[in-house]
Amino acid sequence: MSQTITAAHSAAIDALHSAYLAALDKGDMAAWASTFAADNARYFCVSTENDRRGLPLALMYDDCRGRIDDRVSFVTKVWAGTYEPYRTRHFIQRLSCEAAGNNQYRVTSGFTIMMSAEGGTTAVLTSGEYRDLIEIQGDSAVFCERRAVYDADVLPRYIVFPF
Amino acid sequence: MNAPMTQFAKPWVANPDGYRVPYEVFTDQAYYEQEQEHIFRGETWSFVGLDAELPNNGDFKSTAIGDTPVIVTRDQNGQLHVFKNLCMHRGALLVRESRGNVKSFDCVYHQWSFDLTGALRGVPMRRGVRGEGGMPAAFDMANFGLDALRVEVMNGLIFASFSKTVEPLADYLGEGIVANIQRIFNRPIRIMGDYRQYIHGNWKLYAENTRDPYHGSLLHLFHSTFGLYRATQKGFTYMDPSNRHSLLKATASAAPTSASEDQEVYKDVRSYNTEFRLQDASILAGRPEFEDRASLVINAIFPNLLIQQIANCLAVRQSVTHAPNAFEIVWTLFGYADDDEEMQMIRMKQSNLVGPAGLISMEDGEAIEIVQDAVIRDGKKTSVLAMGGVHAGSVDHMITEGPIIGFWENYARYLKLGAGLKK
Repeated sequence: MSQTITAAHSAAIDALHSAYLAALDKGDMAAWASTFAADNARYFCVSTENDRRGLPLALMYDDCRGRIDDRVSFVTKVWAGTYEPYRTRHFIQRLSCEAAGNNQYRVTSGFTIMMSAEGGTTAVLTSGEYRDLIEIQGDSAVFCERRAVYDADVLPRYIVFPF
Repeated sequence: MNAPMTQFAKPWVANPDGYRVPYEVFTDQAYYEQEQEHIFRGETWSFVGLDAELPNNGDFKSTAIGDTPVIVTRDQNGQLHVFKNLCMHRGALLVRESRGNVKSFDCVYHQWSFDLTGALRGVPMRRGVRGEGGMPAAFDMANFGLDALRVEVMNGLIFASFSKTVEPLADYLGEGIVANIQRIFNRPIRIMGDYRQYIHGNWKLYAENTRDPYHGSLLHLFHSTFGLYRATQKGFTYMDPSNRHSLLKATASAAPTSASEDQEVYKDVRSYNTEFRLQDASILAGRPEFEDRASLVINAIFPNLLIQQIANCLAVRQSVTHAPNAFEIVWTLFGYADDDEEMQMIRMKQSNLVGPAGLISMEDGEAIEIVQDAVIRDGKKTSVLAMGGVHAGSVDHMITEGPIIGFWENYARYLKLGAGLKK
């Protein structure tokens, strides 16, 4: 953990993580999108396999704010009714946090996602690592970039919601 | 596989109102066992990888044909080989990594060592220790090379076969399918990466799904919502002479011939929304790159491969079986080595059309699993394939289930089901 982070900034980053997890665990895609910067935000979800091979392919490749907003619409409008409902619980722990200048921090966290399908048992969906660029804006923090690198070589099911 | 279809007794026949296949083919272990023997390890060519995945001598990847683990490797002379991933000594998996680069394959169990051509080169303690033990005089290392499969490479696609008698690959595919491979793999490619998804369903449900143009604009609302593919679009369904493989091709632009026709065709569809607008429309902003201007090409190759071109999203999809109710899809997405930066970006944007979270493939996983879940105790009940006139073969439209019938006729022929399923 870097020495340079203030308690206020650290708390803002924790609150951002909590808001992100709470949004996904409620299936609230609009709240998920609102954890990203209003402009110039990026979300990538990539496999460890492609990451290690240095290959660019991403399970979710939202390289601009418009794509993040479109992902909300895909899940809530275009895909509505086509997928089996499932609920998730995300757990994270922060692994590192380094100042990147301009009120920005590079933060990494380990994550676990538990999944409960309707009428089914709870199972591990995958685990992985978040690699974030987070910006403090006033009293709160937003993601400029979140890269979710998931561990599973083979995903255990189809995926609707971001990691 | 050279005898014509008419010489085989058929377990399932086309009635005027439909072709019917019993659901037990998706659930019964006995079918699964016969498929491994007569399809995946039989008279077929299975896709195992792209030569661009193995650019250097010594590169290898591990994969599977059906559920038989195999190694694909490029030897020190650049020659490609496919072996069973099985040590000739006591049967251990020789390679446990997905990919790598090696000078030899060394079994971890007793360190038997095989070179990249499959020849056995080293047996520890072969001459014993201090004059004791050792292999008998009759033991000849030349007899214990790895089990090699036949290999053919077509425009960078690597196929392998367990059969010594299957026809050459080009004959197996037929001219029309070869032409599509030459069309898409027309110059060196650049691998973008892999997606892998485990599906809790039978692999043949995916074989049906990828031979089914009927569902394209109905299950995949992204297609119809954003006009990548609509049933009002001109297209054709091609099948090779054996009806094993199929090529679904939407040829003209995705614009409906008229708004009123479009509304008529889709009037029964649950949430077809022509008013929806994307914030970032760049996912649809492709660049024409094929002379025929086709926007959608879905080429299913029996038994385990699909080649796709959806706008500028190019991929191969390999099916790997695990059990009657489980298989895996491996998507490998690629562009061309000479793509400019803009084209690389277009392909990255469009890559999210497919894969486990793909905008037009997420729902295929769901469709397969809900069939598997529903038919579990209704093996004698049947599906009905009737759309397009209850026959396999090429037609100049895409409102058909004919390619699925072609698949099942061949499936029955491979398993000799006309004589009854062997248990």
